[in-house]
Amino acid sequence: MSVKIAAGAVVCVESEIRGDVTIGPRTVVHPKARIIAEAGPIVIGEGNLIEEQALIINGYPENITPESEVEPKTMTIGMNNVFEVGCVSQALKIGDNNVIESKADVGRNVILTSGCIIGAFCQVNTCEVIPENTVIYGSGCMRRVQTERPQPQTLQLDFLMKILPNYHHLKKTVKASHNAS
Amino acid sequence: MASLLQPDRVVYLVRGEKKIRAPLSQLYFCRYCSELRSLECVSHEVDSHYCPSCLENMPSAEAKLKKNRCANCFDCPCCMHTLSTRATNIPAPLPDDPTKTAMKKAYYLACGFCRWTSRDVGMADKSVASGGWQEPENPHTQRINKLIEYYQQLAHREKQDRDRKKMARRRQCMPLAFSEKYGLGTRLQRQRPGAPISSLSGLSLKEGEEQKDITIEPAPALDEVEPLPEDCYSRPISLPEVTTLRQRLLQPDFQPAGASQLHPRHKHLLMKRSLRCRKCEHNLSKPEFNPTSIKFKIQLVAVSYIPEVRIMSIPNLRNMKESQVLLTLTNPVENITHVTLAPCEDDDPDDINSTAKVVVPGKQLVLAGKDAAAEYDELAEPQDFQDDPDVVAFRKSNKIGFFIKVIPQKEEDADVTVSFKIRHDFRNLAAPVRPSEEGGAAAAPAPAESIWLTHHVELRLGPLAP
Repeated sequence: MSVKIAAGAVVCVESEIRGDVTIGPRTVVHPKARIIAEAGPIVIGEGNLIEEQALIINGYPENITPESEVEPKTMTIGMNNVFEVGCVSQALKIGDNNVIESKADVGRNVILTSGCIIGAFCQVNTCEVIPENTVIYGSGCMRRVQTERPQPQTLQLDFLMKILPNYHHLKKTVKASHNAS
Repeated sequence: MASLLQPDRVVYLVRGEKKIRAPLSQLYFCRYCSELRSLECVSHEVDSHYCPSCLENMPSAEAKLKKNRCANCFDCPCCMHTLSTRATNIPAPLPDDPTKTAMKKAYYLACGFCRWTSRDVGMADKSVASGGWQEPENPHTQRINKLIEYYQQLAHREKQDRDRKKMARRRQCMPLAFSEKYGLGTRLQRQRPGAPISSLSGLSLKEGEEQKDITIEPAPALDEVEPLPEDCYSRPISLPEVTTLRQRLLQPDFQPAGASQLHPRHKHLLMKRSLRCRKCEHNLSKPEFNPTSIKFKIQLVAVSYIPEVRIMSIPNLRNMKESQVLLTLTNPVENITHVTLAPCEDDDPDDINSTAKVVVPGKQLVLAGKDAAAEYDELAEPQDFQDDPDVVAFRKSNKIGFFIKVIPQKEEDADVTVSFKIRHDFRNLAAPVRPSEEGGAAAAPAPAESIWLTHHVELRLGPLAP
């Protein structure tokens, strides 16, 4: 149960973090968010915003625990991503500046590059790499490409990092030591 | 069992020009003709125009001028949602001192649903929040306007010739202005296919003015057509760049094939309509003028006059076996209503859909009036109606539950449908005071008398149990 929270990250105590999870600086994890590393470690970069009831899970495919030992795959999440309320993300590789909107569902075999926006309630469980700056929206998961990536939510992050400690207890930060100390 | 309460389970038959079966919630009741009316047997008239996002009212003449579009609101060309204006701060050189830069607000349009922005098509940010956005000009407007003028003149001339012929034949004193004033609203001017376009003539020049002869050049036929680009077949298509048919056809002026040419258009106006019974020309539904108000000035909907039948529970239906279905009847008016049910005759022309025989209770059912204050009045005695427990399952204020017996006749996969006639008394409070009443002007208006109305009701009970 090694959870390494870098200094500068704000992780509320009510959030549920299980397994080998590394959280980078300036990341905000709201209460009731769930980050579960079952089938391998999760590495979260900096400046991410993980809202309430979001579920980031590195789980076994189709919840079947393999009988033989399978090599654990690391889930990497880049910088400045936003996981809105109630979304479920199982994607193994997420780049920077992506937005996964409320109640969206991203499957395990999807690779998000940068600047992608998965719209609200869209379920993306194909086996593909989503090109940069793609917007997936609508009930039919229509797609289009936008010309600029979504802006990083710096204002929101600053505000939350100031206000959340006033109302919630935070998990202790541990220096994520990369060099063997 | 919410599926039993779906509106299309119980339909009432409307005997108009066409026989229409519709749920009671979608029907209107003309209390002057004492008949049910559906949307197809009433005439629709436009009351007012309004924009659905800014709720701005617009008189019809202004709406026509602006081609039925709002001046302030825009539609996203990608997903047809309403666009919202967003502001950013950009550094811009001060007009006084070019070396210093100050933050100025720049506005752009953005869609909250598909994240389209006006910067995607290359529209520059504007410095004013509203009013700065222009729709692109249609290159063919001049030619189209000229064609419209020419045909207006032609229609006017044809109408004059026709009226002159009519006047010469009948020698009536009908002023020429009569046919011009009324457009397509009255029945006299409904357009018949093949008739000359008299609708345009109303908009043309006045009578006495001299009419210039407008001539148009016919469209030139070109011998050479622009060839397709060389790589038309070999170039790989990038699907995000291609517009969908719906996006393309929403802008019929340009019909852009590429997503980078999709410009936003002004939002379409919606209209409020009033309905009028075709037989007696009384208004059935007249909404309020204010777009923010959802109330009606006149609202003669069927649900507030006719008792409503609803399905409450269905047992397992088996072919050729009798089962009991529980229905409810609700009384919408405030006085006691007496309802009689009758099965359809064998050779009833209205009875085309039923696939089962039905046995309805033969006795008259009594429904209490709808009393809005009943729940607060604790001292009121519950009225004793002496219900037959075989027929009436329960009674609750203005609603009763009663049983009917259903015998499915056909062994099909389709739903079991039954139909019967419902006959109830209706007190017409809107009937005009008859002048033949003795007593003169001092007498009170005659008490409204009850008339008996019969409706044909069809119920869709669902499939047979496997």
